Amino acid sequence: MKEILSLTKLFINESWGLSQFLYNKANNKKEFYKQVFTLIIVPVALIPAFFMYVFFMIALYAGLRMINQVSVFLSISYIMTVALILFFGIMYVLSEFYFSKNIEELIPLPITSGKLIIAKFFSILIPEYVFAAFLFAPALIIYGVGEGMGVIYAILSLLVFLTVPVLPLAMLTVLIMLIMQSGSFNGRQDVLQIIFVFIGMALFIVAQIWFGNQMGPSENVDFQILMSSLLANNESLLNTIGYFVPTSLLMAWALNKITLMSFVWSAAIIGLTLLLFALMVAVGKQVYIKSIVRGKSQKKGKPLSGSERQKVLGKKSHKAMAVFTMDLRLLFRTPIYFFNNVSIVIIVPLCLLIMFPFLDLTPEDYESIRSFYRELPLLVNFALIGFFIFFGGTSAATASTFSREGKASWLTRMVPVSAADQIIGRTGVAVLIQSMGIVFTLVTARVYMPISIFSMMLTIVLGILGSLPILLFGLFMDMNRPLLDWDNPQKAVKNNMNVVITLFVGMAYAGVLIAVSGLLGYFVMPWLGYSFFSAISVIMTIVLYKTIDRNLETRLLNFE
Amino acid sequence: MLKLDEVSKTYGNKKEKAVDNVSFHVHPGEIFGFVGPNGAGKTTTIKMIVSLLTPNNGKIIINGIDNQEDIQEAKKQFSYVPDNPELFEKIKGIEYLKFMADVYDVPVAERQQRTEKFLDVFEIKEAINDPIGSYSHGMKQKLALVGALIHDPQLFVLDEPMVGLDPKASFELKKIMREHCDRGRSVFFSTHVLDVAEKICDRIAIIKKGKIIEVGTMAEIREKAGSQESLENIFLELTE
Repeated sequence: MKEILSLTKLFINESWGLSQFLYNKANNKKEFYKQVFTLIIVPVALIPAFFMYVFFMIALYAGLRMINQVSVFLSISYIMTVALILFFGIMYVLSEFYFSKNIEELIPLPITSGKLIIAKFFSILIPEYVFAAFLFAPALIIYGVGEGMGVIYAILSLLVFLTVPVLPLAMLTVLIMLIMQSGSFNGRQDVLQIIFVFIGMALFIVAQIWFGNQMGPSENVDFQILMSSLLANNESLLNTIGYFVPTSLLMAWALNKITLMSFVWSAAIIGLTLLLFALMVAVGKQVYIKSIVRGKSQKKGKPLSGSERQKVLGKKSHKAMAVFTMDLRLLFRTPIYFFNNVSIVIIVPLCLLIMFPFLDLTPEDYESIRSFYRELPLLVNFALIGFFIFFGGTSAATASTFSREGKASWLTRMVPVSAADQIIGRTGVAVLIQSMGIVFTLVTARVYMPISIFSMMLTIVLGILGSLPILLFGLFMDMNRPLLDWDNPQKAVKNNMNVVITLFVGMAYAGVLIAVSGLLGYFVMPWLGYSFFSAISVIMTIVLYKTIDRNLETRLLNFE
Repeated sequence: MLKLDEVSKTYGNKKEKAVDNVSFHVHPGEIFGFVGPNGAGKTTTIKMIVSLLTPNNGKIIINGIDNQEDIQEAKKQFSYVPDNPELFEKIKGIEYLKFMADVYDVPVAERQQRTEKFLDVFEIKEAINDPIGSYSHGMKQKLALVGALIHDPQLFVLDEPMVGLDPKASFELKKIMREHCDRGRSVFFSTHVLDVAEKICDRIAIIKKGKIIEVGTMAEIREKAGSQESLENIFLELTE
């Protein structure tokens, strides 16, 4: 056990850079204060979102109480938590078990495979507990307080809470280990990873749509009717979900009402958790280390002839284009980067496209959508602009551009590429990704709404123009505090506060700008709204561009 | 070609200087060796030369250009191969070479001719269309060398270049270094292999705890040490 704990500590330390934090405290005060500032500012920035979630849960509970159906409250939040852990867990499990380089250093040491697997699993589990605490604990508290539950409920819910992240992660780990051990994936692990992630996301989306569809069409629905509709299908819905997340039933039976059977169901859920955990360790012992020591083979290209080499080298590119191409290749060829930075522009429009048919809209509904657009094109245009900016902001392509290069960033810093070329090349990649999202969205929107060519041109131009300041802000953040010291590409994006800060600041900025421009356009005249939006975007772009241009070269000298 | 004038570097809020008032001059046509124990300040000095670190004090002039004043122009004068060249794993070897040729603005005919020549010398032609992630340490080192030579730099800076290279590649690299200097260019490299430093360097600097304790030709170093022994013995005496 001591060995497992010290290994877990090692993995967590490595993931979160705790030793570096303490080293900075003693030797690099400037860096230390930066880290402390981030540690304070990010949780503070998340407080409003957390409170919004808690208020939503309270409202949900109150609504269910009004129709005397609180029994599904815990199940809904449990399933939501488990689904999110499963969804995000895919990348964490793959990263920790298969893409982290520490395993190659640990295998030669006299540590049993079981201990390695458990420690790796614990290192993923601990952050997931924090995640579950924010999602599921409020539901447990709201239900407990609302129903006037006592100490036994508190104890049992704590025990059930402890099982929440273990179950989905153990299941996921078993599944991933079995898939990854297959010899047929040799040389194609990257491809597999992308496929795996997309299957996971597709399942998640389908489940969401199906869940939404159970509630029936959305017209004339107020909160109570919506809940009634849900509860009319309550039995079948919960039972069906119960097949996929059987523990949701056990959890509901254990906590909804405290009786003697609650202890039995709690014991059952704990037993099942321990069983799955043991299964994960057993499967891991059989296949995990074997699949690692078999070696990771990469798919090789066919040798190039002299003339083929000459042809590749014969195309001379501008420096900005060279930076653009390199950044783009890294993004598209590294599954974790593709998933985090690119997939959103494919998935969101795809969701929209899939969701519309499920809404069961009548021809009258379509006509009312069209007439809404004809009457208020300004609102639709600004909504589309906001949507396009969302793609720019969430792709985080610029906010992690230097971080993604990691230890290879010495090359970027050493080569004679001007700040202007760096900015153009790197921002160009982000704009390209955003443009993919724009095209997919417009194609989807055109299916349901007769958007004019003029509207399309206007929203494309303003959408890209409006996101430039956010993209440049991301570049500014990553230039000032790049995260280069990682052994696992997941960390370059997921542990990168530049991404979070850019997302929050960017969305707040875009929200305010769109709101003000929209109001100007609505109450004064449309062109004033568009002009105001363009003018502010241009000014912000110029200010940020000049700031980066002035400081980038000096910053590149001081990345370490 | 390369002039360091009272260069110092301190990391974070540490009191101890990693590099302390270092000055030396590398002449055109010269192979200059830089030796010292672990943690003496070799890599820090090299990183300051190749614009990966800013000195706290002092000036670094490369081919007449101050690398703090005109960073872009200074970067065009040299190329650098680190001791452990971390390259973009998902990029193919040929794509990496094209990137290097593009950013150094190498004319098409020259990039084609140099690439063919050095790919032959280091025997990595067959692997050039493979992702760098599939390369061994030595192959990455060879690819980084080809990339660094693609623009025929005035100053060639190498940190522990022989580590990871097979004997033939190591021999070829020494030959390239000499040919490079014979054309009036310069090579500055750090090494722990004192035999190599003794054999191929025109001049050598020894650094200890951030300070240069000796600089000169082998003959000058021997004369100052009052000994006719090998560089290894003199080094051990000076650094103990």
